[in-house]
Amino acid sequence: MAAMPLLDRLRAGLFPHRAPLPALAPVLGLRHFGHGLLLLAALLMLPFALLGTPRPLAQWRWMDVLGEGGTCLMLMIWLGYLRASRPAGPVSDRLCLGLAGMLLGGYVDLLDEFWVLPKAMVWDNWLESGLPLLGMMLLTWGLHLWRQEQLALARQLGARERLFRDHRRIDTLTQLGDAAYMATQIALERQAGRGGHLAMLAWPGFETAVARPLGLAAADQLLRNAGSLLALHLAPGELLCRYAGDRFVLLLPGQQGGAARARAEALRRVLQDWSQGPALAPRLAGLDLAPDDRLAPEQRLQQLASGLHGA
Amino acid sequence: MALELPALYPPPPAPGAPAAARYELDSPCLAWTDQAVLLAEFARSRELAPLQPPGGGAGLISPRQLLALLEGLRAEGGPDAAFVIGRHWLPGHYGLPSQALQEAPDLLTALQLLCRHAGRLCPLLTPRLLLDEQELVLVWTEACGLPPGLRGFVVDLHMSAVSALADWLGGQALPWRYSFNRTAPRDLAQHMVHLQAGEPGRLRFGCQADAMRLPLEAARRPWPTRPGRAAAALAAGADTGSQARGLIAALHDRLLPALDRAPALDELAAELGMSPATLKRRLAQHGTHYQAELDQLRALMALYLLHLRGQPNEAVAQALGFFDSANFRRFFKRWTGLLPSALAR
Repeated sequence: MAAMPLLDRLRAGLFPHRAPLPALAPVLGLRHFGHGLLLLAALLMLPFALLGTPRPLAQWRWMDVLGEGGTCLMLMIWLGYLRASRPAGPVSDRLCLGLAGMLLGGYVDLLDEFWVLPKAMVWDNWLESGLPLLGMMLLTWGLHLWRQEQLALARQLGARERLFRDHRRIDTLTQLGDAAYMATQIALERQAGRGGHLAMLAWPGFETAVARPLGLAAADQLLRNAGSLLALHLAPGELLCRYAGDRFVLLLPGQQGGAARARAEALRRVLQDWSQGPALAPRLAGLDLAPDDRLAPEQRLQQLASGLHGA
Repeated sequence: MALELPALYPPPPAPGAPAAARYELDSPCLAWTDQAVLLAEFARSRELAPLQPPGGGAGLISPRQLLALLEGLRAEGGPDAAFVIGRHWLPGHYGLPSQALQEAPDLLTALQLLCRHAGRLCPLLTPRLLLDEQELVLVWTEACGLPPGLRGFVVDLHMSAVSALADWLGGQALPWRYSFNRTAPRDLAQHMVHLQAGEPGRLRFGCQADAMRLPLEAARRPWPTRPGRAAAALAAGADTGSQARGLIAALHDRLLPALDRAPALDELAAELGMSPATLKRRLAQHGTHYQAELDQLRALMALYLLHLRGQPNEAVAQALGFFDSANFRRFFKRWTGLLPSALAR
């Protein structure tokens, strides 16, 4: 029992500034999936060591050792990344099992380089060819499920993301896209030859009426809630981003003119009727986007922001 | 050819007056309970790693330590960190100077207080006010050195602080124009919204100075503040520490009123009460040297006189102590990359 703290202490002494390892998702409900794989690898080595004859050093084919060893190492790293970045579940299970199969197949192939088994034995050939194929089939199945999962997630993200993903462009406070993400989206709409409507919502005087008297944390919380509230009211295809400060920007693709303005006004009413919101009337500015617009999207957004100024 | 130089705030000290206290990058002169507490509160509101006072709480920290805290928030606090912190920076809770700001009858008085009591209100950057008949220019100058990577962040913070102070106490957004001594960021959204710029044309990047301009008439508009006695107490000598100047700011204070009669380094060192070698070493520790500071002040003043006041070349050359206008043109070209004639008002 005392061994673990000692080990931790040693590790902390050796790597004082190392970031803690990320938590790895369990596979098939097994938290120690990685240790299990290591155990399996050790067990696989056993028949080679018992039944085979070691290959003399002169006969090692270094190219193969490096190539196959490197492949195994990379597969291990992939497995680690996959478990660190995905939540547990059927999709992750299949992806991880697939990678594990490929890893073990490659590993048996690698052991071949160090021991010579009698010609009569065929099981190692079976493992060598069968495991990677089985692994790839599982991985393919997993990828197929992943696609379905992604479609479900896209529906869930709804108002926050459309067709294009860039995690560096997510506003940390509201978890909406930021101004640069909206600019990318406007450019995408233009490429597709579609017009649309761009609207910006803001509370004039937010700083003096809310941020100063209530403080930093409360103002942040209010903006976070406002973002979620607006996102709830968006129709499929519409996109909400946080421009900066208390300003939210809406993209209504394919809608223009009076209908689009009415739609934006409806969303402004949502903010106005919000009982926990600030006691300020939100303001709205909007403009139609032509598909052959020459002005840079960033400048269109600035133009919109100027329209809200002085309120 | 007489040339009317702008009114400068803070004004040069009267001869014989005791010199204001000086601080350097590593002087422990800032109370943790002043600006650092605001940073700690910001870190808490954004759920970042908590900021702890060094040595258990009651102590003083140095400008370098305050800058280190800001560096952490710049990296982790989100793209609007400078502006959000800036909004709460002034008037702040820094004792009498903060109180005096809240009681100021108009923006001009508030800015004069800010310039005079910068040691308490904004110890990292020193504001200087240039006034002529129509316009005020608030220039942000070095106080005691800044790491180059943090300069833009600190400038944004201070500009946001002043603009938010004016919005809050005056009750309306003012038509500020901003100049930044750096290249434009990829995305202007934060500057547009937080500085209440209104239109992108009010934000100019790639300028020679970090400055804010405002028509004087807007700065004289009375504020709905309640008058008090804090400014009088300050004027009577309460809280003299609030007038402390950073080393570089103190150097600028000495040079600015008489740019045409700049002292030699030895003379200046004697006035500051140190040996020339010590002064050189101190300036080097703050990332600069005497001639660079003198040249920079001359270039800034030349820019102001030529560009904003439309003064003729010869008069500016004379006012800044150049032998002739050819000399001045060469200096100006080397320092700003422009010929003086390129700057029409």
